[in-house]
Amino acid sequence: MKGSKILLVDDEIVFTTNMSRLLVNRGYQVTAVNSGDAAVQELEKDDFDVVVLDLKMPGMDGIATLKEIKKLDLFTQTLILTGHGSIDTALEAVRLGAYDYLTKPCEIDDLVSKIECAWQKKDEHVKEEMQENVQKIIESPHSVFDLYPSKDKKK
Amino acid sequence: MNGHDTNTITPDTSLNPPEKNSYRYLFRRFTLLTVVCSIVPLLLVGWGLNIHYTYFAQTRIVRTFEEQVANHGRFIEQFLKEQSTKLRLVADTHSKKDLQKPGSLMTIFENMNREQPYIMDLGVIDQRGNHLAYIGPYDLLDKVYFHEDWFKQVMQKGLYISDMFMGFRQEPHFIIAVLRREEEDQWILRATINTRVFRTLVENMRVGETGEVYLVNTRGVYQTTPRFGGSIMDQADVAVDPFKDPVSVDVFKKNRSSRFSGQVVGRFWLTHPEWMLVVKQARSETFEEMDRARFVNLIFLHLSALSILVAAIFITRYMVGIIRKRDDHAARLNNQLMQASKLASIGELSAGVAHEINNPVAIIMTERQLLLDQFQQTMMEDQAFKNQFLSSMDQIALQSQRCKRITHNLLRFSRRTRSMIESVDLNRFVAEVVDLMERETKTSGIRLLTDLDPDLPAIQSDSSQLQQVFLNLITNAVDAHEGKPYGSIRISTRYDADAGGIFLSIADTGNGIDPKHMDRIFDPFFTTKPVGKGTGLGLSICYSIIRQLKGNITVKSEPGEGTEFIIFLPLTLSEKETRESGPSGPDKTSDPSI
Repeated sequence: MKGSKILLVDDEIVFTTNMSRLLVNRGYQVTAVNSGDAAVQELEKDDFDVVVLDLKMPGMDGIATLKEIKKLDLFTQTLILTGHGSIDTALEAVRLGAYDYLTKPCEIDDLVSKIECAWQKKDEHVKEEMQENVQKIIESPHSVFDLYPSKDKKK
Repeated sequence: MNGHDTNTITPDTSLNPPEKNSYRYLFRRFTLLTVVCSIVPLLLVGWGLNIHYTYFAQTRIVRTFEEQVANHGRFIEQFLKEQSTKLRLVADTHSKKDLQKPGSLMTIFENMNREQPYIMDLGVIDQRGNHLAYIGPYDLLDKVYFHEDWFKQVMQKGLYISDMFMGFRQEPHFIIAVLRREEEDQWILRATINTRVFRTLVENMRVGETGEVYLVNTRGVYQTTPRFGGSIMDQADVAVDPFKDPVSVDVFKKNRSSRFSGQVVGRFWLTHPEWMLVVKQARSETFEEMDRARFVNLIFLHLSALSILVAAIFITRYMVGIIRKRDDHAARLNNQLMQASKLASIGELSAGVAHEINNPVAIIMTERQLLLDQFQQTMMEDQAFKNQFLSSMDQIALQSQRCKRITHNLLRFSRRTRSMIESVDLNRFVAEVVDLMERETKTSGIRLLTDLDPDLPAIQSDSSQLQQVFLNLITNAVDAHEGKPYGSIRISTRYDADAGGIFLSIADTGNGIDPKHMDRIFDPFFTTKPVGKGTGLGLSICYSIIRQLKGNITVKSEPGEGTEFIIFLPLTLSEKETRESGPSGPDKTSDPSI
């Protein structure tokens, strides 16, 4: 969806710069970082709909970053964007809870398509969560303060 | 055989089997050890037994020889005693007058010689040494013996057997004489023993071709004529020292300085007269049978040793041959492992290179896309530039995709790509593979034929792995036609609803598989191709891929007629199997390159 917030994580600065511009051109709000640590910090500060995550990075690599993201227990969906050589790792990431993966180089349209799918997935999760919460409020109105903490988190 | 692999192996010379010289060294060592461990004990036992047997046999033979000498000596003694007894009997039973009667002495003479002419003559002599009566071939009646030595001896001892002497007749002879006392008178009955008959009697002992028997007196004078050298009454070269035992046997070794070189000498002392019986025989003849037995034993011993040596050489050669074959086999396996390891390293390298190329290409693609975005927002009047720009952008996209394909192929080669389970139309797939291989088979004079089931359903399988299987099997089928100018490979498909899958057959008209290799054709590294031609991994990989895809592969072959590989593939794989061999879901395969 246009206006979705995307966090782009890749150690290749030129790539993140270019890809940010391309995604901005297509109506997305993009934040680009060049390391796993920076990505986790950004996610702690702000909400994002989709994280586009490279696997092979110096320092905290993609898999470790993904595990940290899962710990944050967010609705945010993660897309893996990897060089072809690490496809096995990409599959491993999918098993660890990433939504999907794409191999570099890829067409911008393919990436946009995947982002849209991921956003829809997140949206479905959010809607399901809201329905469950509404049901709980109807059943127990006092639980409203427990269900909506200050941050948009999964239950 | 069909141990196909698309990679050509170059043998690593450093892993070749040991040099021929080392096998020769091994052969020599093994042979030496075998010989030392078997022939040496055999020879030791053989020689030991031989020495023991020689000692035993020699002792027995010497003892027998000794007994023969003693018996013969006693026989001669007995003969002389017998003759003496006869004379004593005649003297005691007759008076001097009786013997002087005409014909009386002749009668006694004839009676004494009835069995053998032992006595040559017989005479009666008075106490003054005069002949009173005489029967014999000589004219001795007027001879007076008063001063003769034998006369004195007989008068003194009563019985006397003389040594050989010449006497009045001037011929070697010896006498036996007895003294008879008749009231105041004394007379002597004397008999001369027939020298020729006595010699025959003395020599009446089996001494073979080289032996001789003779008598010597206490002074070492021959009392009979020896067979070889010397004659009666000559001085003999035998020692006549009285020995402790009445009989002795000496075995003389060959020694030029010895009188009895290489001879066995037996000696026996007669008591009366004091003569020594000497029996000589060549040592070689005495011990002939023993030596022959020893010779035969040694022949058998050495033949046994020789046969062990020959057997040891043959067995060692056979064993070294086996070791050599095993070494060759191990070296071949090592070469193949090295090659496999090299390929794995190249695969790792390829994966790394692919990854490194993909990142810059991804940047190029984003740059292109940025340019395109910018271009679309820019008003451009120069149509030629616009056309050129868009054409260049398309070319950049095309070449980037080309790079992506290259890296994809590199990764496929590295085998790091997981198998992707997708819907595969086997008929279309076979057609593609045939199309790919047709050019190669045509040059080999082989036709590729297809017999495809039109109602074949699509299966869930991994097309890239199936492609490898088919390429391996078809390349093997082409290789199986080596030496044949033409042939064909028939690929057929058939759907079997009951079995729940598809049967795919690849049948060739090649040389077939040797029945003895049938059990091993799917073994890793088993190949009948020359070293360096095949790794023996082709069929092994085919087998593991088909098993991974939950199918089955079987083979039928007729030597000289051809081979048929039949592959069964199930229509679908279970979710678990899919996860094991591919990505986690169908929506994860959106990248067309995977």
